[in-house]
Amino acid sequence: MWWKTLSVALIIYAITAGMLVPLKPGITYVSPGVVKSGQDITLRVFGYNSFYTKARADEIRIWLQFDESNAVLGQKTAILNDTTVEASFQMPSGMPEKGTFAMLNVIVDHPVDGVSLLPSAVEFRLDTTATSKAGWQDNPIEQLHIVKDLSYPYRNVIYESIRNTYYHVPMWFALMFMFLGSVIYSIRYLKSQHLDDDKKAVAFTEAGLLFGLLGLVTGMLWAHYAWGSAWSNDIKQLMTAVALLVYLAYFILRSSFDEPEKGARLSAVYNIFAFASLVPLLYIVPRMFASLHPGAEGSPAFGSQDLDNTMRMVFYPSIIGFSLLGLWLAQLRYRYAKIQDVLYDID
Amino acid sequence: MKFFQSIRFIILVLFLSIHLPIVQAQGNRDFMRETGKIYVVVGVILLIFLGIVLYLVRLDRKLTKLESQLNEEKNEQPH
Repeated sequence: MWWKTLSVALIIYAITAGMLVPLKPGITYVSPGVVKSGQDITLRVFGYNSFYTKARADEIRIWLQFDESNAVLGQKTAILNDTTVEASFQMPSGMPEKGTFAMLNVIVDHPVDGVSLLPSAVEFRLDTTATSKAGWQDNPIEQLHIVKDLSYPYRNVIYESIRNTYYHVPMWFALMFMFLGSVIYSIRYLKSQHLDDDKKAVAFTEAGLLFGLLGLVTGMLWAHYAWGSAWSNDIKQLMTAVALLVYLAYFILRSSFDEPEKGARLSAVYNIFAFASLVPLLYIVPRMFASLHPGAEGSPAFGSQDLDNTMRMVFYPSIIGFSLLGLWLAQLRYRYAKIQDVLYDID
Repeated sequence: MKFFQSIRFIILVLFLSIHLPIVQAQGNRDFMRETGKIYVVVGVILLIFLGIVLYLVRLDRKLTKLESQLNEEKNEQPH
C-alpha cells in the first residue's frame, strides 16, 4: 500500500532532516552578569554554534540593550575563538527610565553568523536614581546582518531539544486523528449496527492511546531537561492525563460485557462522550490557565515565535508520517480482530 | 526465539538503554545537558521507537495465540 511506504519515508525524512539541520548561532551566557553605572567593563560573550573567527574583530558589534531605542555599543572588540568574543563597555551614569536596576539584553551582530540575542543577560545596577538618557543613544542598533539559511531557531535553555517539535508534538496530532477516526466509526456503528465498524473504532482508539502514552512519556523526558522536572502539574499535562484516563476507561468498559453487541453499543456511546470531552481537555481548558507550554496565550498552537518556516518543512511531514503510521497500526489491529472473529465462528 | 519475543527481553533492552547514558555519565553528571541537550532528542526518538515496537510485540503475541488456535482446529478435524 502506497501510504504505508509514504509514512515510513516521511518519518525517515523527519528524523534525518530534523537531526541534521544545524541551529542558528546563539549566545549561551555573558560574563560578568552584573554591571554598574559609570563602570568601564570588559564583557565576555560565549556563543553557541557561532563562528566568530570568520569575520574581523571590528566587523563584530556587541550591544547592551535597554529597550528598542536605548543601547550601549561595545568598543575594542576582540575575538578569542569561534565561541568567545570580548568587548569593553563604558556604562552610562544614569538609566533612561526610573529605577535602581534593569536587565539588559545582549545583541551580537556578525557579518557571517547574523544577529544573535540573549534576553536579560546582564543586570545593570545604578548608584544613583538619576534618570538620564545620556550615553544610551550614541550608537543605535542598526544595519544588522540578517542571514537566511537552512537552520532552526536558537532558543535559550531549550537549545538542540527544539528538534523535539518534530517528534513529541506530532504524537498529539496523530492522537487527534486516531480518536477522530474512532469516533467516526463509533457513530457509524450506532447507525449500521455492523460489528466491523465497532472493530475499526477499537483499533483506532488503541492506536490513539498508544500515541497519547508516547506523547506523555516523551513530554516528560523533554520537560525534565527544559522545565527542571518531569511532572510540574502544568495544566496541559494534567488535562492530558485526564483525557488518557477517559480513554483507558473505554477499554475497561468494553471488557466488562460478555455480549459483543451490547458492549459495542455502550462503548460506542461512551466513545462519543469521550471525544466530546477530549477537545476541551486538550485545546480549550489549557488556554484558560497559565501554562509552561508555548502558545498558551494565543489561539494558534504555534505562533511564528515557536515555529519558523524552516521548521514547518519538517514539522508538517512528520505529522503526516506519524498519523499514517498510526493508521497502519490501527489497520493491523482491525485485521487481527477480523481474523479472530472468523476463527470463533468456526467453533 | 521465544525469549526474543518475550516481554522480559523488551524490559531488559529498555533497562539497558536507560542505563547506558547513566553509566557513561559517571564521570560527568550532566551527560544529557551536554552538547546543547541533543541527547534529549535522541531519548525522545528512542522512546517513540520502543513504544511502537512494544505495541507490535503485543500484537505479535495475540497473533501467535490465534495461530495456535488455528492449528488446534486443524488437528481436531482432519479432512
